[in-house]
This record gives sequence, structure tokens and C-alpha cells, in this order.
Amino acid sequence: MAKKKWDSASVLSALVILCLYAAVFIAEQLIPPTSMLFTVLKKGATYALVAVSMNLLNGFTGIFSLGQAGFMLIGAYTYAIFTVPIAQRAIVYQYYNGGVVQFTLPVFAAMLLAGLVAALFALLIGLPVLRLKSDYLAIATLGFAEIIRTVFQWDKLGPVTNGSNMLRLFPTFNDFNLRNAQGEITVYLSTLVPLLISGVCIAVIVLLINSTFGRALRAIKDDEIAAEAMGIRLSSHKQMAFCVSSFFAGIGGAMLAMYQTTVQAKSFTTAMTYEILLIVVIGGIGSVTGSCLSSFLFVACSEWWLRFLDQKQVIGGFEVPLLRNGFRLVVFSIIIMIVVLFFRQGIMGTRELPDLFRKRRSPAKGGEGK
Amino acid sequence: MSDPVLRIDHLTMQFGGVIAVDDFSMVVNPGELVALIGPNGAGKTTAFNAVTGVYTPTSGTVTLLGHNITGLRPDQITGMGIARTFQNIRLFSSMTVFENVLTAHHLRRTSNLLSATFRLNGAEERQMRKDTEELLRRVDLYDLRDEMATSLPYGKQRLLEIVRALATKPKLLLLDEPAAGMNPQETDELGDFIRRIRDEFNLSIFIIEHHMNLVMRISDRIYVIEFGKQIAEGVPSEIQNNQAVIDAYLGGGDEL
Ligand SMILES: Nc1ncnc2c1ncn2[C@@H]1O[C@H](COP(=O)(O)OP(=O)(O)O)[C@@H](O)[C@H]1O
Ligand SMILES: [Mg+2]
Repeated sequence: MAKKKWDSASVLSALVILCLYAAVFIAEQLIPPTSMLFTVLKKGATYALVAVSMNLLNGFTGIFSLGQAGFMLIGAYTYAIFTVPIAQRAIVYQYYNGGVVQFTLPVFAAMLLAGLVAALFALLIGLPVLRLKSDYLAIATLGFAEIIRTVFQWDKLGPVTNGSNMLRLFPTFNDFNLRNAQGEITVYLSTLVPLLISGVCIAVIVLLINSTFGRALRAIKDDEIAAEAMGIRLSSHKQMAFCVSSFFAGIGGAMLAMYQTTVQAKSFTTAMTYEILLIVVIGGIGSVTGSCLSSFLFVACSEWWLRFLDQKQVIGGFEVPLLRNGFRLVVFSIIIMIVVLFFRQGIMGTRELPDLFRKRRSPAKGGEGK
Repeated sequence: MSDPVLRIDHLTMQFGGVIAVDDFSMVVNPGELVALIGPNGAGKTTAFNAVTGVYTPTSGTVTLLGHNITGLRPDQITGMGIARTFQNIRLFSSMTVFENVLTAHHLRRTSNLLSATFRLNGAEERQMRKDTEELLRRVDLYDLRDEMATSLPYGKQRLLEIVRALATKPKLLLLDEPAAGMNPQETDELGDFIRRIRDEFNLSIFIIEHHMNLVMRISDRIYVIEFGKQIAEGVPSEIQNNQAVIDAYLGGGDEL
């Protein structure tokens, strides 16, 4: 569209996002760091990035991949392996003589590497897997994630991966806080920085979606035969989307490692991929904004707002029935089923944040995510 | 003199036991408007698909401007100068009219993923948008540019599909039943439109069509196939009086 580059809706959206960041910064200085709010924001930022990366495939390219947990695992391990301080390696790799990697990378370099390694794996498995049709592709990527999970626990790889033992003592989100000479925290940044990292990555994905390559991907999703007839090479564009998606899933994995403070292959289960998939569906397949919103909602519900369902409640000597350990998951599943059955558009459909400020649904022109 | 734009030699296309196209040969010369007609199921669409790379021919060759393009991928063939429309309209349903046409410019990009994502290709992107705008103005679709493509009336969707194909800057345009589902007035306008774009865009056109009035009015030459085999070839007046053609159509119950 030959309209102005920045219409008022986009400007408003940018302002909203800026205000949210400012609010987080202020909240972080005022509210105790143990507050649930920050847990939700940190994990939500991580999940938002992974969900958007999945949406790039499922929602914008029409490739139904279920390998997200596998690529997160690769990212998490890459990050952890290259950031454990040398002095701590003897402790972490106690069964493997301190491991083979005997240097460390700066945090941001390691995160970038996490994305690159995940993208490299995507490049390798993409060649055979992307030829498959939808259901088979989903099964193959799911299988890939399971294989990766097993391989990383393999004893022979122990000097690198620490086998089935956990990796720990690497820099976490808390290390983003600024400290004075006495080691006291002067400025809290442990929530803001993850949100910024995630925000920058998502902004890059949004830029991609709104570029000529993004249009080509949407064309493939709409109609492969027509896309091909317009001169779009299917294999290379799908491969590209797959690698980019995995790159950001890898960075998401590194963030998850920082959030959890430890990394263990066995926690990157298929269930994790399903969580991400549900976030994408609830947010709206084909909406970056939706994926972001629903990530925070999902994490808030599962970590915070619905926690009470898992605890016995006694009100006036009367024990509320059903509330016991595990009931939260039941309620959660029911909510998800309701969404999938009755609100298939999800929260946002295919709309984005700037669309909310426009009167009529105008064509997807995107804008900043978050 | 000059090479024919399109040359098909002994094309055969077999699906299991079904021989959809059987030893079919033809040429389209520069600037020519050639029609392919025949009863339903005669193998016309299959011939198009074999030319555009959707199917790899069982045997035979397809030559575009002297280059053998047999067995190339559809996107390669489009890049070499053949564009097409589909019998069942295939517009990009999540896109506007403008975006549908804009997408057709992707194949001539010089940017790569990084330069396009980080907007280092500003000049090229602007040029794509300018070309799209200009094209839409030329064919009177500019006012509809922000409508969703699939929300257009049927006739306009057919038109848009042709325009989208034009945006790939083809030398040869293949149209698969462009008048299907149009009323007589729309069909007339379409005929004028097809001749006009042939002249204005220096195209050769190869068209499959069932509306005989339209075919007879606009075609320079006509090929007729039945059961995958050619049964006649000639200028419209010859075809109209050809006994084999009349029989084929009477048998198939189609209008002539
Ligand atoms: N992909 C395919 N697999 C099997 N048979 C096919 C395929 N495509 C076309 N055919 C068969 O080829 C014949 C010609 O079809 P088609 O080219 O669509 O006819 P037309 O366009 O002339 O109406 C039909 O009998 C059809 O069933
Ligand atoms: Mg047909």
C-alpha cells in the first residue's frame, strides 16, 4: 500500500508497547523480586518468543511442525554448555572430568549461537522432512524432538552435554541486575531484559512477515500451487521459514534455560510443544499479537491464577470439594477444549495490535508484536 | 524466422492406466492467440499442467523460445516467462487485491532474506509497489485494491487472476477457462480484455475455453482434442465446419 509508512495506528501501538516496558521497569524497582508477577513476565516472555516462532510456521507458512521442544532443547543446551564459568566446570561436569569445552562465551554471543545451532539442525532435517505432507511432517518433527531428547542424554556425549545430569551454574536472568561494588543490586533488570530480548526477536519476525519473503510465505500457506505458479520456489521458502523459526526457538530455549537456572534434556517433552501449540491456537493462528497475549495469559493461569485449584480450601469449616493436587490441569484442559471447540479464531484471529486501533479490519499490515 | 514462443512435441501424459494427453504436438507463434478446445475430460487442463511443470510429462518435450523446459519446476518455468491462471480460481485468500498482485513480483527480487527483513531493499520494494499500483490502474482494479481478493465478485476474481499472472511479466500467458461462470456481457468484455492485454503487453496467449462465441471471436488458431488426441487444427472458420469437431461436440453434449 502506498500509504504513509507510519499510520497513526502503528504509532499508537508502538506507544502502548513502550508504556508497557516502562511500567515493567518501574514495577521491578518497587515490587519485591519474589512476586509472582515477575515469574509470569519472565516465563511469558520466553514462551511468547517460542509461540511466535511456531506461528511463523503454522500460521504464516502453513507448515504444521511439532518440533519446537526439540529446537528449544538444542538452544538451551548450546547456551548452557558455552556459558558455564570455567571455574565451575569441574563441579557441573563432575562425572566427566570437567567436560571438554574449556572456554566460555559472553551471554549474548551464546544466545546467538543457541539460535544458530538450532537453525543448523533445522537445515539438516528440513531437507527430508519438508517434502512430507502435513500430517506426516507433524509426526516426523515430533519424532525428531524425541530423538534429540534421547541423544542429548546419551552417556557417550556426556563430556559435552553432561549426559543425563543437569547443567547448571550458568548466567541466569538474575545476572542482568546491576550491582554495586558491594554486590548489592542497584537497578533491577532481570525481568525487563528478557522482555526486551523477546521483544526484539519478535520485532524481527514481524519485519520478516511484512517483507516480500513474508508475502511469499503467506502465498504458500494460502495456495501452494498458485504460489509456485507465481514463481515462488516452495522448497527453499519452506526451508527458510523452518530455519528462521528454529533459530528463534533456539533463542527461546536459551531463555528458558536462564529462567529455569538449570537445563536437563528430559524436561523438553512433547507436552512442552503442545503447550506452545495451545498458546498459538488460543492467541489466534496467524496473529503475532495473539501469540504474545496468550503466552502471558497461559503462563499466568498455569503458574499463578489457577494455582488455588491445586490446594485444599476450607471455608468456614467446609472443605470445598474437588480442589486437590492436579485439579488445576483438569480445569485447564476444559478451558482449552472450550476455546478450540467454540472460539476457533482464538483471541485475535489474524488481527494484530495496530488493527485494534483501526475502525475497519484493514488488510494485515502487521506492526510490532507484543 | 524466429522461434515459436511455445512448442509442444509428442506430449504424452499418463496417470496409471489413464492416458490423459496422447502424443499431442502444437506451436504458439509470437503474438498469436491460440485456443485449445475439446469436450470435458479431453485432457486440456492436463496439457497446461504438463507445460507449466505441475506434472512432468510421461514423454515428449516442451520448448519455450528455443529452450527445452520439459520437467522443470513450475517456479522455474514461471521465471522463464510462462504465467497461467487456473480453471478453479486460485487467488491468495488471506490477501488483498493489491497484495495478490504484489506477491507476483517476488520472483524478480534481488534482495535476500536479511536485506528484505531489515528493509535494506527499500528501493526495490517501492518499485514493486509502484509497478503493482500502475498495473492495477491500467486494468481498472485500482479502486478495489484494498478489498480482500476473495470477496470480489466472481468475474472480478477471474480478472484479478489474469492480472496477477501478468505481474510476473510473462511472454506467454496460459488461460484455463477464463470465462467460466461469467454472464454473456462479462464474457464479451473479457474477450476485449484478452485481446487488449495481448497487444499492450506483447504477449502470446494460449487459452482453454468452452464459450464457443468467445473462442471463435478472439482466436487466431484453434486446436481441438478429444480423449487426449488432436482431432483438428485450423483457423476459426475451418474448425466451425470441421465434421470431426462437430461430431465430438454433439457426442459430448457441449455447445459449439
Ligand atoms: N492427477 C491426475 N491423476 C489421475 N487422472 C487425472 C489427473 N489429472 C487429470 N486426470 C484425468 O485426465 C483426464 C483429463 O482431465 P483434464 O485435463 O482435467 O480434462 P479437461 O481439462 O479437458 O476437462 C480426465 O480423465 C482426468 O480424470
Ligand atoms: Mg479443464
